[in-house]
Amino acid sequence: MDRISPETIESEIRKLRGELPKRIVDDLRSSLLKVAKNVTLTRDKLDKIIKMVKKAYVDALVEPGEPVGTVAAQSIGEPGTQMTLRTFHYAGVAELNVTLGLPRLIEILDARRAPAAALMEIHLKGELSKDREKAREFARKIEMVTLEDVVSQTETDLINMEFVVTLDRDRIKRKGLVPSEIASKLSENLKSEVITHGYKLRIKPGTPTLPDLRRLAMKAKEVQLSGVKGINRVVIKAEGGKYVVYTEGSNLAEILKMPEVDSTRTTTNDIREIEKVLGIEAARNAIIKEAVNTLEEQGLDVDVRHVMLVADIMTASGEVQQIGRHGISGGKASVLARASFEVTTKHLLEACIRGERDRLKGIIENVIAGQPIPLGTGSVELEMARGERVGRG
Amino acid sequence: MARLPKLIDGISFGLLSPEEIRKMSVTRIVTADTYDEDGYPIERGLMDPRLGVVDPGLRCRTCGMRAGECPGHFGRIELARPVIHVGYAGVIYDCLRATCRKCGRILLPEEDLDYFRRKVEDARATGGDWWDYSKEVISQASKVTECPHCGEKQLRIKLEKPTTFREEKNRLTPSDVRERLERITDSDAMLLGINPEVARPEWMVLTVLPVPPVTVRPSITLETGVRSEDDLTHKLVDVIRINQRLSENIEAGAPHLIVEDLWELLQYHVTTLFDNQVSGVPPARHRSGRTLRTLAQRLKGKEGRFRGNLSGKRVDFSARTVISPDPCISINEIGVPEYIAKILTVPVRVTKYNIEKIRNLVRRGPEVHPGANYVISPDGRRYDLRYADREELAEAIQPGFIVERHLMDGDVVLFNRQPSLHRMSIMAHEVRVMPGRTFRLNLCVCPPYNADFDGDEMNLHVPQSREAQAEARILMRVQEQILSPRFGGPIIGGIQDHITGLYMLTKRGVWLNREQAQQLLAAAGIEPHLPKPAKKEGGVEYWSGKQIFSMLLPKGLNLTYKAKICETQECARCLKENCPIDGYVVIRNGELISGVMDERSCKALSRCEVLDRIVKDYGSDEARRFLDRATRLAIAAAKMFGFTTGIADEDIPKEAREKIEEVLMDASEKVKKLIEVYERGELEQLPGRSLRETLEMRIMELLTEARDKAGEIAEKHLGLDNQAVIMARTGARGSMLNLTQMAGCVGQQSVRGERLSRGYRGRTLPHFKVGDLGPRARGFVESSYKKGLNPTEFFFHAMGGREGLVDTAVRTAQSGYMQRRLINALQDLRVEHDGTVRDDHGHIIQFEYGEDRVDPARTDLGKAVNVDKIIEKVIGVGGS
Amino acid sequence: MTGGGKSAEGEGEFDVTKHQLVPKHEVLSKEEAKEVLRRYQVKVHQLPRIKASDPVVKAIGAKVGDILKITRDSPTAGKTVAYRYVVRG
Repeated sequence: MDRISPETIESEIRKLRGELPKRIVDDLRSSLLKVAKNVTLTRDKLDKIIKMVKKAYVDALVEPGEPVGTVAAQSIGEPGTQMTLRTFHYAGVAELNVTLGLPRLIEILDARRAPAAALMEIHLKGELSKDREKAREFARKIEMVTLEDVVSQTETDLINMEFVVTLDRDRIKRKGLVPSEIASKLSENLKSEVITHGYKLRIKPGTPTLPDLRRLAMKAKEVQLSGVKGINRVVIKAEGGKYVVYTEGSNLAEILKMPEVDSTRTTTNDIREIEKVLGIEAARNAIIKEAVNTLEEQGLDVDVRHVMLVADIMTASGEVQQIGRHGISGGKASVLARASFEVTTKHLLEACIRGERDRLKGIIENVIAGQPIPLGTGSVELEMARGERVGRG
Repeated sequence: MARLPKLIDGISFGLLSPEEIRKMSVTRIVTADTYDEDGYPIERGLMDPRLGVVDPGLRCRTCGMRAGECPGHFGRIELARPVIHVGYAGVIYDCLRATCRKCGRILLPEEDLDYFRRKVEDARATGGDWWDYSKEVISQASKVTECPHCGEKQLRIKLEKPTTFREEKNRLTPSDVRERLERITDSDAMLLGINPEVARPEWMVLTVLPVPPVTVRPSITLETGVRSEDDLTHKLVDVIRINQRLSENIEAGAPHLIVEDLWELLQYHVTTLFDNQVSGVPPARHRSGRTLRTLAQRLKGKEGRFRGNLSGKRVDFSARTVISPDPCISINEIGVPEYIAKILTVPVRVTKYNIEKIRNLVRRGPEVHPGANYVISPDGRRYDLRYADREELAEAIQPGFIVERHLMDGDVVLFNRQPSLHRMSIMAHEVRVMPGRTFRLNLCVCPPYNADFDGDEMNLHVPQSREAQAEARILMRVQEQILSPRFGGPIIGGIQDHITGLYMLTKRGVWLNREQAQQLLAAAGIEPHLPKPAKKEGGVEYWSGKQIFSMLLPKGLNLTYKAKICETQECARCLKENCPIDGYVVIRNGELISGVMDERSCKALSRCEVLDRIVKDYGSDEARRFLDRATRLAIAAAKMFGFTTGIADEDIPKEAREKIEEVLMDASEKVKKLIEVYERGELEQLPGRSLRETLEMRIMELLTEARDKAGEIAEKHLGLDNQAVIMARTGARGSMLNLTQMAGCVGQQSVRGERLSRGYRGRTLPHFKVGDLGPRARGFVESSYKKGLNPTEFFFHAMGGREGLVDTAVRTAQSGYMQRRLINALQDLRVEHDGTVRDDHGHIIQFEYGEDRVDPARTDLGKAVNVDKIIEKVIGVGGS
Repeated sequence: MTGGGKSAEGEGEFDVTKHQLVPKHEVLSKEEAKEVLRRYQVKVHQLPRIKASDPVVKAIGAKVGDILKITRDSPTAGKTVAYRYVVRG
């Protein structure tokens, strides 16, 4: 009974790389090394273990022809009935709203341009992340403040043809603003004269007409005084000795450019934004992450492989495509497949003038034609020359 | 003779040209009348006998075939004036805008056209969407005001929905439109997204209308003998009538205005014939006021041709009835009522080996159960055994005959319950013919079907061909579906009483004498070769419950895990085998050494270690055997020991009730103080929340805490000796939350995740003061279910309950649609032999399925290979 | 060969390729590309695509017609390789 050395184990395991997935090899390595410390591992046993692992892997492989798409769709769709519908819930950071459950899952699959509750998780660089004050300062810097947020009173002065706003002392102080600064921001943005009287600002429209004044009043309230556009609410949370900034509303492109931000880890839950800023592969990862989190939060057990397949088909064209009429289903080559999904007549009429030809390669087309479908046992194609039967029989 | 199988390779789409319509038409339809006084169809009318037959017994005047064989034949209506095809009004509009009003060329210089032409050719060569360029061509060309080819000045064309075109102020008649479309050259048409090989632009303006055959629009004869015509026939009558009036008026030289009016009316009728839901057109109605279901309506929607008849078809050889449970049959089996078994048949080919058996079946006929309903001779003749001389027929059959015999024990059938949300909603079972009127199924298959027995009905299908039967048996059998591909764990397994039964059998201190032990084993269907008794007392041999259970386990099974009942226990350190509640399960070589069997042993849809291990290591046959026996044993055990629960199980001592009251009072007091703080404006605001929201959150927190505390107090008095607690803790049914709500306090009721607030101004009910924010006024239920709710609490509880109901209704609709979209998007994907996932056009979606090529159903909870289990198996237990 | 390449980290800029959501993208050489097409028996248009306007494509300087090799971290396999064909857009 020769006890074999860790080196032998390592070398044997190295041979498996490329043959088995990395994770299995890594698992095997760490388990074997741990076991070898306590138990005598002989050559025989090592060989046997490796043989069994290989066999277990081969046994677990998918069968060619397996309808993995349908299985994935069912595996994600079936638990849908068990999910909650309540849109808003408090999770993680109690102060922020997050969309959860079925509505969130539908949102992800729809690849909607603006999710109902956009949320960013901003990590700060090195030292900054450990300093509560610095993190606070940063939070104040990015939170979008519009004039509306800091006024206590507004009035439209029709005699002097002015829009008069009274600033709220407390609020501007809390946001780190001063009246003069606000005035200059306003005049710059509205391209109009602003007169400061302590906490009272008088804004004059370009021309002293009523419609202009009204328009000015509308626009003035929305003028952004500080912060990053789209970032509405900011919350700081300590996580493992570090401060992480969470925001309601999202603007990944701007935030990542900021020098305080750790641009390798900061993310958003808006998949379209990730696609735009970080590319299609990042969007794929984000879809998987968001969908898995949504399912897990609901306590539903769904294999990642199903979610990965959905993410892969959504990103296969190079841009994020919706699961539905305006995405994958609408873009199918088969006329019958499109017609049987939604907007039947439109697809048929279009197919006619274009002279399209349905090659009957897909599933639904063959179901319509009453033929075996090209999946599973139906995917076996066999051609045989017809002729007289020779030999037995 | 078997039909030679034909494979449809493709379906081409195109427009019908007027010539083609005329060529395929068997007759021109001119009269609007359908039948004469004697009830015979009028020639050249809408029911012309040449259009096909629908009445049985008659032969088609065109093809000579009988009803059912004759596909029907088209006729035609020659329109007195052309009309626009509604579906193409938009395309026609694009064509008119983009082409010259005089020379008909696209309003772009030749270079540009050449450029686009090249693009289109390229796209066509590579099989791309060549029509995508038409959008660009149209948007560019429609802005041009002067024809670059002939110099003609272009006028603005407008489309007045749905079918009227105007050029500046002048109305373009369909004839004008058609003339212009005729001028478009073939190569220009291509750039407009129209393929002239199959669809010349002018064919979008109809001059002749095809009349669908009668087979498409059969008339129904009501019981009174009155014929009722199909909606399409009604519509066609309208078209013919107006068409005729129009042509008469034109011939008579009627004033322009009248002709125009009739023309427009003809356009209306043709439009609604195609689509009766065009916006801006009043839908054509039946005399009764019902809107007509015309061509587009027949195709569209869930009950339309596509989704209703082509994607899902009605079938023969199926049955449907109520389901009921039968714990005695195997999970693979299904009990079929004899009544149904006598109607459903399986075709059997007669061979020299089975001829005698089949002769007997034929002799027994359709009335006696294992019999037969039909005999089919090799020349294709069908003999109905109800009327034939069965004795004679039985003698006459020879190898080569096919006999449709009754469904019998051991046949494979497919069993299904809607909604069919996953593949386990249709599984193959083996038939067991039984008395009674319901389908019987084993309780373990309830979870995959999501079935219960409160009146559920299920469907049964009998596969007819040997191929289908083999596939069903090998791939779809219940035992092959134990592992769900969703998460790689068992979806078929014990439920409810199975879990309690096993718990009661395997818990500590269960001793059975020989009689009891043998009775249990007999119930489980095991030969009662008892092992050595574990205990002898007063000369009597005793076996432990664990010993009995161990007899079901396969030899060589090794497992160590913590039971479900262990979860809620708070132990500083796990005592392992010495666990006070016996929550540490050890199985060595198929012997249950310690621990109890609960949810973790074999409950469906959960992390059930024992069943999971057996399917994965010993295969589905062994798993089926285990499940069949374990569930029967569990039920026998439950019957032997007795198990019941009642309202007394939620009794808690007076001190506990007082303590709970105290906790609730305390919380109430705290909330009151909080509100006072809020009213004084001294509440510290949470970042990004209004003061009011902050208050609500704090109150909710306080009340949740109070409820939990009340629950804890109640829980202390609910131990494992309590039957209701056994169900909750073993995971059989219900939860501790349910029990504490019954015994302790129900807690806060909510709508949309907030405390109740709606009702009257500033209050929920008139029982409270306006603006009362206290717990009681906002839906906190202090009572327990057992104590009973007071009227206001009851009302609040109903509010919360109602939200739950609405939620469920909305959710099913939403998730159903989501699933339909997912299926539609993903159904064409499959794994190829090289491990890639591709769609129907060979586009690679994944280079390796799931990135490791592993089937989720064969994983160990997502892990491809459980390395530790293998190592443990090789080097023996205790290695780690 | 690998990412990083053109965009330097600095004021108002960040490196897309270093973000944790972005896996490693590499441009394949002509021979490697041919080998991929041969191995999977496909034409280029049957590969998954990536747009030329994709931030990562721009960052590593890939061009239309290139095939990218993408090495992803995988929750199931540990590491896995995928390819994308760069298209106009």
